[in-house]
Amino acid sequence: MERFRRELDSRPPPREGGDERVGEGERRVQRDWNEREDEKPDRVDFKVLPEIRSFDHRIHREEEGEAMYGFEALTFNIHGGYLEAIVRGYRSGLLTAADYNNLCQCETLDDIKMHLSATEYGPYLQNGALISHSSSRCGSDSVSRICADWRDSGRHVLVSYIPDQKPDSDLFLCRGIAYQPMEKGAKPSPLHTTTIVEKCTLKLLDEYKHMLCQATEPLSTFLEYITYGYMIDNVVLIVTGTLHERDVQELLEKCHPLGMFDSIATLAVAQNMRELYRLVLVDTPLASYFSECITSEDLDDMNIEIMRNTLYKAYLEDFYNFCQKLGGATAEIMSDLLAFEADRRAVNITINSIGTELTRDDRRKLYSSFGLLYPYGHEELAVCEDIDQVRGAMEKYPPYQSIFAKISYGESQMLDKAFYEEEVKRLCLAFEQQFHYAVFFAYMRLKEQEIRNLMWISECVAQNQKTRIHDSVVFIF
Amino acid sequence: MSGQSQRLNVVPTVTMLGVMKARLVGATRGHALLKKKSDALTVQFRQILKKIISTKESMGDVMRNSSFALTEAKYVAGDNIKHVVLESVKSASLRVRSRQDNVAGVKLPRFEHFTDHSAGDAKSDLTGLARGGQQVQSCRTAYVKAIEVLVELASLQTSFLTLDEAIKTTNRRVNALENVVKPRLENTITYIKGELDELEREDFFRLKKIQGYKKREIERREQDAKKYADNIPLKTGISMNSAHNLIFVGAEKDDDIIF
Repeated sequence: MERFRRELDSRPPPREGGDERVGEGERRVQRDWNEREDEKPDRVDFKVLPEIRSFDHRIHREEEGEAMYGFEALTFNIHGGYLEAIVRGYRSGLLTAADYNNLCQCETLDDIKMHLSATEYGPYLQNGALISHSSSRCGSDSVSRICADWRDSGRHVLVSYIPDQKPDSDLFLCRGIAYQPMEKGAKPSPLHTTTIVEKCTLKLLDEYKHMLCQATEPLSTFLEYITYGYMIDNVVLIVTGTLHERDVQELLEKCHPLGMFDSIATLAVAQNMRELYRLVLVDTPLASYFSECITSEDLDDMNIEIMRNTLYKAYLEDFYNFCQKLGGATAEIMSDLLAFEADRRAVNITINSIGTELTRDDRRKLYSSFGLLYPYGHEELAVCEDIDQVRGAMEKYPPYQSIFAKISYGESQMLDKAFYEEEVKRLCLAFEQQFHYAVFFAYMRLKEQEIRNLMWISECVAQNQKTRIHDSVVFIF
Repeated sequence: MSGQSQRLNVVPTVTMLGVMKARLVGATRGHALLKKKSDALTVQFRQILKKIISTKESMGDVMRNSSFALTEAKYVAGDNIKHVVLESVKSASLRVRSRQDNVAGVKLPRFEHFTDHSAGDAKSDLTGLARGGQQVQSCRTAYVKAIEVLVELASLQTSFLTLDEAIKTTNRRVNALENVVKPRLENTITYIKGELDELEREDFFRLKKIQGYKKREIERREQDAKKYADNIPLKTGISMNSAHNLIFVGAEKDDDIIF
């Protein structure tokens, strides 16, 4: 019992505050970064067999006073139980095969909208403009004040009250979606496929923010890790746009909402890469990725795509290490998922760089240093010059052999869909276990896949290509 | 048209007749040539029309394919791929230039596209390196094909319009020559000929009349001469009067004989 009380005391106290939760999370991350650098945690050796690895972890963590692997059921629910329940609830709201079949039968975009209104996407696809969506912690009186304000301004309010978990506060989590109803007689704006995708992404963003609000360490760091990929994309987009003298506001609108951070607009101010790094990036979590792999001279000349992929490689390795430190079921499942991601990227990089100027050394530098293919598979892939050689290299690994068996010789169009299907299978398997963080990662990825499916279906319907509609829809259940 | 078959106001002389005849010959030859030109242009016109119809149909297909290729690229490489590609472009690498073609004397504009390799980036080959690179490349080829079809369609349509104008003008000229200029010239020629004939006839008539006078004059003189010969008998009873008249009056009346 002493061990558990010590563990409870060692957790940082919950933060009060409003919507600037995400910003605080960043600052928290900053502190944790420094803490970790002081401790110099030892990296786990990846090549060691999994059982021994987790045994090392068990001993390591027992010294720190944490629960042993296999006994997470005792302590996980204290801090993670609420959010795990929430995310499983979200997962059951994902579209099923029956839903997809209905959507594929639609003739027009309005039919699709009608079908989607019956699902969880209903409130987001209403005709009125979506005005505000906020998740904030506030006292009960301020909640009623907010609701009164909204109602007075003629907006519709959907509010859910969730009592906070912490025993020492009577704060409520108020989550509301307000949308302005259409004026009488106004014509509804024509529906575009981009609108549908936008609204669905908005829903994902809402759910993510809600979870991030409620999370504590280390789950909040984990959740933030999930979005670093989008952050990298946004940073690269703004940097390229600024290099070619585009307007900052336009660029900001084109960024992915999950990857936004506070100082993103200042990226446009920097004149060259050194300033960029010094002014903006050093405060973000992406700082370590830049310093690890790129010197400041490289930043100026380097091809944008190579930079993006180098950053992403550093991000994946960082994420992998973080999950290993978390240990337990999280480490196991996440390492499997991240290894698949790394291998998939390696194969894609190889195939897409055949016939371009990318040298073999550059190619090798872009491969991550973990995963099933590391290191021998990478050696083989680095020298491949066409698809059949890639296939030959990959067929030595049983999980990928089944993927490559699905596509016929000389063709690589269906490879992406095969990879997506395999990924979805693995993500669904993550939900089979309880008491780990990988369910959050799996849910985000599955939601992304769902949005991709919806985009595909709406585009096929809008372009009158119903025959191709089943080419790329990946059913989740 | 009221003035359709009028004639030109000219002085009806022989030279004018020559001039009018030359002009008529010129008008006839011009009319034949223009007719040939109009026929040639019409043939071209019909060919272009056929090509336009087939190109428009293929354009529908090509645009459809290229939009679908874009959808595939978006599916694999993420929704942002459009923005990523757009932001990383400095200037267009596929450009269009125009030149003039001469078809049966009509200058038709023609557009053709070419790749400007200096502006084009080799760096763009690496777009979507980690995912979706292939789809992005196939999307690019689909859109390049779409541009080709569109450029061709543009040149065909401008040629169509220009040819239409040219045919209208030529036909207008042909009709003008046929229905206005030539009849006018012919009428003028007829008029001049008529006038000349009339003048000739007048002359002829005058000549005949004068000949008639002259003949009568000669006959009268002969009569007078015969009468005088009757009035003078030899040595017997010629009157002094008549002898006196013979000598003095006769001497006055005699004309000089001029050889």
